[in-house]
This record gives sequence, C-alpha cells and structure tokens, in this order.
Amino acid sequence: MTEQNVAISLDREDREMSLDNEKIAIDVQDWNLWYGEKQGLKNINMVIPENRVTAFIGPSGCGKSTLLRCFNRMNDLIDIVRVEGTMNLHGEDMYAKNMDVAALRRRVGMVFQKPNPFPKSIYENVCYGLRILGITDKSILDETVEWALKGAGLWEEVKERLDDNALGLSGGQQQRLCIARAIAIKPDVLLLDEPTSALDPISTLAIEELIFELKKDFTILIVTHNMQQAARVSDYTAFMYMGDLIEYTDTDSLFTNPQVKRTEDYITGRYG
Amino acid sequence: MERTEFKSHISEKYNQNLEDLFNQVLEMGGLVEEQLQNALEAIKCENKVLAKEIKQVDKLVNKEEMEIDRLCARVLARQQPAASDLRLIVSAIRIAVDLERIGDEVVNTVKLAVKMSKVHDIPCETLPGFKSLIEMISIDLSMLNSVLTSFAQLDLAEVADIVDDEDRTIEIKDAALLEIQNSLNSNDDGMAEYIMQMIYSIRASERIAAHIVNIAESIVYLIKGNDVRHMNSKKLAGFLNSISE
Repeated sequence: MTEQNVAISLDREDREMSLDNEKIAIDVQDWNLWYGEKQGLKNINMVIPENRVTAFIGPSGCGKSTLLRCFNRMNDLIDIVRVEGTMNLHGEDMYAKNMDVAALRRRVGMVFQKPNPFPKSIYENVCYGLRILGITDKSILDETVEWALKGAGLWEEVKERLDDNALGLSGGQQQRLCIARAIAIKPDVLLLDEPTSALDPISTLAIEELIFELKKDFTILIVTHNMQQAARVSDYTAFMYMGDLIEYTDTDSLFTNPQVKRTEDYITGRYG
Repeated sequence: MERTEFKSHISEKYNQNLEDLFNQVLEMGGLVEEQLQNALEAIKCENKVLAKEIKQVDKLVNKEEMEIDRLCARVLARQQPAASDLRLIVSAIRIAVDLERIGDEVVNTVKLAVKMSKVHDIPCETLPGFKSLIEMISIDLSMLNSVLTSFAQLDLAEVADIVDDEDRTIEIKDAALLEIQNSLNSNDDGMAEYIMQMIYSIRASERIAAHIVNIAESIVYLIKGNDVRHMNSKKLAGFLNSISE
C-alpha cells in the first residue's frame, strides 16, 4: 500500500457522521404541540442537517408523524392543534405570523403513505405544481417533467406513455410518481411519511435507492415503522416515545450502541 | 449489562437463538480450557496419551467454531439484530476465531511432551525453559478462565488484570529464551530437538495469552460498545481498570 493510500484509508476512518459537522436546514427549539388537552409533542429540541436523510422511528402514537407534519405546517389544518416553540428553516421562522404557508409548502414537499396521484395523465401529475405556480412555457414544463421523472427513477418506464392515466401505474410506480410531483417544484426539504408501507419489497428497495440519490439535492426526513429501513436509508435517526425525543444521533451509533435503554429495548424488540 | 437482557425480547425464538449462541461460545471455551488444562498435565507428567487426546479434542473445537458461525449467520439473516444483540453476534464470531487459534496453539505447545522422552536421563525441572513454560501455561489457564467467566457473567471486572497477566507471560518468555540460549553448548541431539520444541512451545504459550487478550477486547465491545483493539497495552490496561471499577 502506498503512503498516499494509507492516508486515504485513515481519512475514511475519521469521516464519522456528526451533527456538529453538518450544515443545518431546520432548527427546532423547545417545540411543544397539543391536540386539545392532550400533549402530542413535548419540548423537542433538534437540528435537521442539510442534504442528509433523517429518519424518525418509534412506536405508534409516539408523535413522529405529528412532528413531521409540523415541518410543513400540515397541522394548521387541524382546529384543535396548538403549538409552542420555534422552528426555523434556513434561519427563517416557519411559524412567523407573516409566513406565507403555501410558499412554505413549496419549499417543504411531502409524500404520503398511500400513493395519491391525481386522476390525470402522468405528465399532468408531475407538472401540476408548476402550473399552479403559473408556468405555462411548454419547453420548461417538458424539461422539468423529464428531470423530475428521471430524479424519481421512473422516466425509463413511462417516457413512451406520458399521456396515459397515472392511475394505471403499479403501486410502486405511483409512489415514485408522487415523489416526482413533489420534487418537480424543487423544494429544499422532502418529507416522506411511511412512503413504502403500502409497497412490495422490490418497489420498497427502488424507493430506498431513490432516497439515497435524492439526498444530493434535497434534505430528506422520513417517518418509518420499519427499523431496518431507517437503518438502511438514513444518516441520522431520531427515536421518539410518547411525544418525547428520546435519542437522536447518527444512524450507525443508534443501531449499534444506543445510549438510552428505551431506545435499545425498542430497536432490539425487547419488552420496555 | 445482564444476561437476562438477551432473554427479554418479545420473540421467544429470538431469545432462544441468542441463548443457544451464548451456550455454544461457553461450550467451546470450556473445551479449549480443558485442552489447556490437559496440556499442562501432559507436559508435567510427560503423558503422551493425553497429548494425543488433546489433538483429538482440537477437531471438536474446530467444529464448534463452524457451528458458532452458522448460528451467527442464521440470526443475522433471520432476525436483523441491532445494538447489544448485534454486538453479541460480532463478538461471538471474533471470540470463536480466537478460541480456535488457542486450540491450535495448545496442540503446538503439547508436542513437547513427546520430545521430552529424548532427554530422559535429565529431571524435567532442570531442563532449560521447562519451569517457565509450566508457569506460562498456568497463567494462560487462569487468563482463559477469567475471560470465560467475564463472558458468562457479562462482567468486565473479571478481565481487569488481563493485560498485566499477558505482560507477565512475555517477561517469562524472554527469561526462558535467555536460559535456553545459555544452554545451547550441548552436543546431545536429543537435547537440541527438545530445545527447538521448547522454543516453539514457549512461543505458542505467548500467542495463547495474546488471543485471550483479544477475547477480552471482544467482551469489552459486547458490553460497552467500545472498540479497544490495537490499543497499546498500557492504555488498554488503564481502560480495563477504569471501566471495571
């Protein structure tokens, strides 16, 4: 082994993930949420790193989806929800009174558990957001549809039938179409709420591979019930329990040497 | 960390898999310990029959290593272990490799029992290196007992002095080789053969101590999650003392 190779291999060992070395996309401070009288999120403090995949795991009802929905203010749509604390996207207060929520949601896209394409053509599904933004130039629309479908790993499968109805696609293809629709408007952040729970294992792997590719361009947050999926796709993992953020660290550490017993019990399937 | 933690999964089958793995490692460790104990007796008493038996037992030790690998591969494929469960699998694979190598080194050490008959007219205790070898194997035996107890009880206090013990075997080896060097003016062929084997046996006993320290490092990884391999011995001794307090 040459001296240079030794230096390279040692450098690799040093390149461990740490939130301290990351650029921050979202900063959450003292975040609380109530559904009426019931507190759903309790004093959450965390930073979400840019161009990384951050996974949220925990048992049903732990608050992971609730927290995810806070990142694009989806909880605003529920009357009984009240929030406290601060949440900044690239330093900008996401909950400021003058914040344009529609504009915020353009910057923070979301893909849901069940694929939900519109009953329109594949092409129209992808350029739907662009049309709402008032873009009518055919060449820009064509270019963006191709870019988004390529980004979502779907282009080769649908390029000959862009005018076909999207509902004719398989479940896995529909979910990738929803991802293409979400990225077409080039958001900063992509929220994925259990994006593969309705898909077969092969389609699941295709989406996981896609997540790995997409993080080059987007900051990705994923909620999943599948711990192995969190271990496979994420750079950082947050474990939540009954509204509390119990442990949040790089995925390697969380899955090999968690520091909190409750995390250990959950990820190893023990009685907690 | 408690052994019971590995029995508290919701899946009973998973509990059983990990319990089987624990027992398999301890069974293999017990076999190697018995080999080492017998080697000590065989060399002390020049017992060639016992020396042959040790070679037979080594085949069993090899099988145990393969069985542990098979169990680990099964748990990895079927249960996707994480955290301390994953560390148990990684440690078990490493410990099995070290135990298997200790078994090989015991076989190398005990060859001396056969060569000793070639210098029959000299009392064992006065043969160069003999007392040192006996002392080294005794220390190896005590070290092996400590790491197996540490693994069985998941208690690092048992291995707190393991590095000092290894250092002691190195000191004895150095003194023994010097003693042997000073006795090299003999023209007796039988003595020359004995001395050659004695050097191999001393070297093998030293390797046994090194493998036992490796096992202790695997147990640290299992219990604490720290990778302490390739630490210099002073640092490792300090680390073991600090965490076992």
